[in-house]
Amino acid sequence: MNGSVKLSARGVSKSFAVAGGQTIQAVRDVNFDVHENEFCVLLGPSGCGKSTVLRMIAGLEDPTGGRIELDGHDILRPDRERGMVFQSYTSFDWLTVQKNVEYGMKLNGVPAAERRDRADKFIDLVKLTKFRNAYPKQLSGGMKQRVAIARTLANEPSLLLMDEPFGALDAETRWNMQELMISIMETTGTTVIMVTHDIEEALFLGDRIVFISRHPGTVLQDMTTDFKGGKRVRRKEDVLTVPGYAEMERDIMKLMREQGSEEEQEA
Amino acid sequence: MPTPDAKRRTWRWFDYKKQIPARWVIALGIAAWAIFFAIWEISVPLGWVTPLLVPPPQKVLTALWALLTERDFLSDIGVSIYRVVVSFAAASAVAVPLGIAMGAFRSVEAFFNPFVSAWRYLPAPSFIPILLMWFGTGDMPKLALLFIGVVWFLATIVMDHTRSVRAELIETALTLGGNRKQILWTVVVPAAMPNVVIAMRQMLAVSWTYLVIAEIVASSNGIGAMMMRAKRFLHTDEIIAGILVIGALGLLFDYLFRVAHRLLFPYLEEHGR
Ligand SMILES: Nc1ncnc2c1ncn2[C@@H]1O[C@H](COP(=O)(O)OP(=O)(O)O)[C@@H](O)[C@H]1O
Ligand SMILES: [Mg+2]
Repeated sequence: MNGSVKLSARGVSKSFAVAGGQTIQAVRDVNFDVHENEFCVLLGPSGCGKSTVLRMIAGLEDPTGGRIELDGHDILRPDRERGMVFQSYTSFDWLTVQKNVEYGMKLNGVPAAERRDRADKFIDLVKLTKFRNAYPKQLSGGMKQRVAIARTLANEPSLLLMDEPFGALDAETRWNMQELMISIMETTGTTVIMVTHDIEEALFLGDRIVFISRHPGTVLQDMTTDFKGGKRVRRKEDVLTVPGYAEMERDIMKLMREQGSEEEQEA
Repeated sequence: MPTPDAKRRTWRWFDYKKQIPARWVIALGIAAWAIFFAIWEISVPLGWVTPLLVPPPQKVLTALWALLTERDFLSDIGVSIYRVVVSFAAASAVAVPLGIAMGAFRSVEAFFNPFVSAWRYLPAPSFIPILLMWFGTGDMPKLALLFIGVVWFLATIVMDHTRSVRAELIETALTLGGNRKQILWTVVVPAAMPNVVIAMRQMLAVSWTYLVIAEIVASSNGIGAMMMRAKRFLHTDEIIAGILVIGALGLLFDYLFRVAHRLLFPYLEEHGR
C-alpha cells in the first residue's frame, strides 16, 4: 500500500518566542517521510511537540529550521490541499450539516450542483445521512467530529491532517470513529497524518508510527506496523489477536514510559 | 406507617442551584411588586411622607392618563424614542464594524484601541456644555451626546467578542482554502454576531440613561423635558409618571432585542437573559 514519498520532513525545528525575550524549543531536527496512501501516526508523550509538527505541515506555523515538502514543493502557507481536523469541535454552529460539509467547496468556487453531490457522498460516508439538515447543537460530540471529517474530505485535500481528533470522545464512540477511519481509508485512499498519544489507536490505525521523544521533540523511532501484513483490520477487537500486536504494543509502552511527559520526569 | 416516598423531600425554599415550582417563581415576582405598591399606598395615610412629594399610585396613573390624552405627552415620548433610535443606530453603524476590525486584525487594534479606550474614560455628560455651543438647541446636541455615550464602549465590547472567536474555527477555514476576506465574512462575523447583538442590547439601556440626562439638562421636548416642566409646577405625580414611562420603554426595547436575538440566531442553545 506504500507508494512514493508524499511528504518529507528534513531537519525540522521550531522555537517559539515567549514572554521576557526567551524562546522555547518545541521540536528539533525532525526527520520522517510519509508515503502516498499511507496512514501515518505521530505518537509521543504529551507536550513533546506533535501538534507543533502537524501545524507546520498544515502551514499554520513556519519552521524555524529545516524544510517540509509536499510532493516536492515547500509548504509556505495553509492551503486546501492540507485539510486539518482539530480535537476541539469546529463545526460552524450557524450552518446545517449539509452547509458545513459544503463550506470548503464553496470557498473554492465549486459549482452548487457538484457541491451538493459531493457533500451527499461524504455525509453518507460518515453516516450522517439522517442529520443532513440538523444544526450542530443537535449533534453529539462524535457526530460533530464526523461533520469535520466529511467537510475536510469533501474538499478533496491531498493530505488529511488530524490532531487528536477523537481525544474528547468517550471510549465506545472513539472505537466507532476509529473503525470509521478504516472504512474511509478503504473508500478514499487519502494520505493521513494523525496525532495521538493513544497507543492502541496508533497500532489499530497506523501504517507507520513516528514516535517523538519528550520535549524538545525529535523522532525517536520510525516504525511500520508490519504485523498487520499490509492489510487494514476492520474491527478494533480483531487487531488485538493479530500475531505481533502484543509485542509492538509492549515496545511502544516501554518507549512511552522511558520518555514520559516532562512533568512526570521532573516529579 | 410512612412509606419511603413520603419521607423524601420534594423541595425546600433555600437550596443551592435547585429549581422551585414555576407557579412560585411567578408568584414571588409579583409579590415583590405588590409589596412595593402596598408600602407606597399606605405611606401617605400613615404620615410617613407628605402627599405633595410622594403622590399615591392611583394619582400617578391619573396624571399619566391626563398627560397622554390632554397634554400631548405622546409626542414627547415619540421625540425621545426617535433620539434613542437614531443615535443608537448611528453609534452601532460605527462601533460594530470598527470593533470587528479591531478584534480581527492586530494592526487595526494597535491603531484605534489606544484612542478608543481613552475616550471611554471621558464621561459623556461632561460634553454637554460644548455640544450645546457647537450644535445649539434642537436634536443635534442630544443625538451627539447619546452617540458618544455609546460608541466607544460598544466598539470595545465588540472587539473583545471578535477576539474571542476560537482560533480553531479560523484555522479550519484556512486549511480549507479560505482567504482573509472569505474568513472575515463566513467565520469571524457569523461567530461573533450573537454576542455583538447581546452587547447592543446592553448598550441600548445605557443609551436611555444618557437620553434622560440630556433631556433634563437641556431640552424643551422629550420625556425628560416634560419631567423638568412638571418640577417647576411641583407636579410630582407627573414626574413619577415620566419615570414609569421611561422604565416601560427600556423594558420594551430590551424585550424587542431578545426576540430579535432568538429570531436571528435560532441555531444557538442559549440566548442570554
Ligand atoms: N504558540 C506557542 N507558544 C509557545 N510555546 C508553544 C506554542 N505552541 C506550543 N508550544 C510549546 O511547545 C511544546 C510542544 O507543544 P505541542 O506541540 O502542543 O505538544 P503536543 O501536541 O505533543 O502535546 C510545549 O512545550 C508547548 O508549551
Ligand atoms: Mg497536542
